[in-house]
Amino acid sequence: MNHQNHPELAEAFNKDFERTTWHDETLWFVRQKRDKAVYPIPEFQDLRTLASEIKDHTLSNLDNYLLEFEQNAIKNGVKVHWAADATEHNQIVMDIIKETSLEKAKGRNIRLIKSKSMLTEECHLNVFLQKNNIDVVDTDLGERIIQFRDEAPSHIVMPAIHLKKEDVGETFHEHLGTAKGEKDPQILTEAARQHLREKFVAADVALTGVNFAIAETGSFVVCTNEGNADLGVNLAKVHIACMGIEKIIPKLHHLSVYTRLLARSATGQPITSYTSHFTKPAEGKEMHIVIVDNGRTQQLGRADFRASLKCIRCGACMNTCPVYRRSGGHSYDFTVPGPIGAILSPNIDLHKYSSLPFASTLCGSCTDVCPVKIDIHVQLYKWRQIVGQANELPAAKKWGMKGLAKVLSMPKVYDLSGKLARGALRILPHGLTHNQSMNPWAKARELPDAPKQSFKEWYEENRK
Amino acid sequence: MTSREKILASIASNKPSLVTLPNVPIFEGDGSIERFKTVLEGIGGRAIEVASKADCQTAIDKYYSDLKNVASNIVKASVAVNLDTTKDILEQVDLAVLQGEIGVAENGTIWVPESNMLNRALPFITQHLVLVLDKKNIVANMQQAYDKLEGVGSYGVFIAGPSKTADIEQALVIGAHGARSMMVLIY
Repeated sequence: MNHQNHPELAEAFNKDFERTTWHDETLWFVRQKRDKAVYPIPEFQDLRTLASEIKDHTLSNLDNYLLEFEQNAIKNGVKVHWAADATEHNQIVMDIIKETSLEKAKGRNIRLIKSKSMLTEECHLNVFLQKNNIDVVDTDLGERIIQFRDEAPSHIVMPAIHLKKEDVGETFHEHLGTAKGEKDPQILTEAARQHLREKFVAADVALTGVNFAIAETGSFVVCTNEGNADLGVNLAKVHIACMGIEKIIPKLHHLSVYTRLLARSATGQPITSYTSHFTKPAEGKEMHIVIVDNGRTQQLGRADFRASLKCIRCGACMNTCPVYRRSGGHSYDFTVPGPIGAILSPNIDLHKYSSLPFASTLCGSCTDVCPVKIDIHVQLYKWRQIVGQANELPAAKKWGMKGLAKVLSMPKVYDLSGKLARGALRILPHGLTHNQSMNPWAKARELPDAPKQSFKEWYEENRK
Repeated sequence: MTSREKILASIASNKPSLVTLPNVPIFEGDGSIERFKTVLEGIGGRAIEVASKADCQTAIDKYYSDLKNVASNIVKASVAVNLDTTKDILEQVDLAVLQGEIGVAENGTIWVPESNMLNRALPFITQHLVLVLDKKNIVANMQQAYDKLEGVGSYGVFIAGPSKTADIEQALVIGAHGARSMMVLIY
């Protein structure tokens, strides 16, 4: 069975040593910016606790809040749709697009512009719409870059963080006609601005994600730095907003907690440039909200893992993760990479994503920076148990663990194995002890010199 | 069963027992003009204090004399913008000067409701943006800001500085899709 494997994909990423180091340092720089933005806020830890508790409460009453949200949104003149899975979501979005814009398009393709939505990535919406003759343009700069390159985002906040400016220059030369070899971010961004302004003005329908949906008012909030969500929505006739069921918060004033946490945790900014509150469509325009399950209610039923639904998609756990930083977002082969992706993905397909809970040192840094206090590293550990029980461990790891468990349960055998190993390490040639197929641990590591005696032996000799 | 019913039923059977909703306090903090100005400059914006609202015109004349197409209901306008203004006119706007309602010192953001925008697209499609703000309406943080807001209307945005991106190698570029520059006139 051909299923993705994090170690293999990570190994491929690591072949380019310099790029791996650059990726590692760039994301660590973002983590440091986060720290600088967080430390001056005296109540930052209180805000994390509040954010976590508000989400805990919301999840425990989610059905009622969704109903309240729906009722208020309808009162506001918004059309509300429900999708059980990705297929239904895509069909609903296409139906809205065609019903509202087919006539106006008069034979040409309908033009859709999108701001960032990880949910539509999860549902593979773009491919579906394109197959149905709808022109889809991603307008977030990072997303536009990877759309040109036909790649998936490698990070939820910085989708093109795996690329260097030379790569972007090459892509823009090909698609936007910028000068060959041009790699100045200012000039490349200006080229994208000019190109996308045309698209904004020409669009029939604008689609956005949702950062927060407020039950009390039926409003939803979209956060961007570029202004692409507002520009798109306010120029197009139809606005479609797609949201997972977990985006709900009860009251408007709860936004005051999340807007202080989100950008500081994500990029180290005090707040995103635009925090946009959509409640009613403009005169003569249409607004639609698509509420999507796609596996979320199942995760809600897993007591050990439901807290993963509290995620506000800031990406802080990725920026801090030593494994993510050195393996790249694509090595996870899941819409949401990094530590949070590694606890969301096994819920979707345990077999396919069985290697992801192991893509961690369990250092706990993800949990420490999470603005809604998800116990990410604890959940990673718990998924490992489930992967083991489901017999999804790779053979070497499975038998290695079984063997180790046996040895550890028999003190005499353990002592003897230790002695043999210490002796062998001293005698055997380096090429054999570090043979990479026999000892994968030594692929990028040196074993320490073997001590003459074990701690147990030393203790026997020295205790008084 | 519709998907709506299915989702709601699945939540009802899978959700944990009810957890209490915490109270969010109105945190205290420094709501000074100085802090607002410093933070705004840190995120690529600029803040200028003027003696009164009437003096905004002098400031616009001083800083933006090179811009031709100005849309505003506060200073002298050269382009009339309203709800029905078409995209081709909106595209030509060089500068929009609009009223901001609440400024937040902690993050340099300003609340702009739809009623102050002339047209929903204007604050985003304009090449440059100026917001004017009464210094009495600067608060310390977002708790105080939402507390002061009486609802969010049909549409409203907290705007913090100019449009920006760091999507190419984390290099900060001001002027992504929205305003290339953003100034606040505090009176």
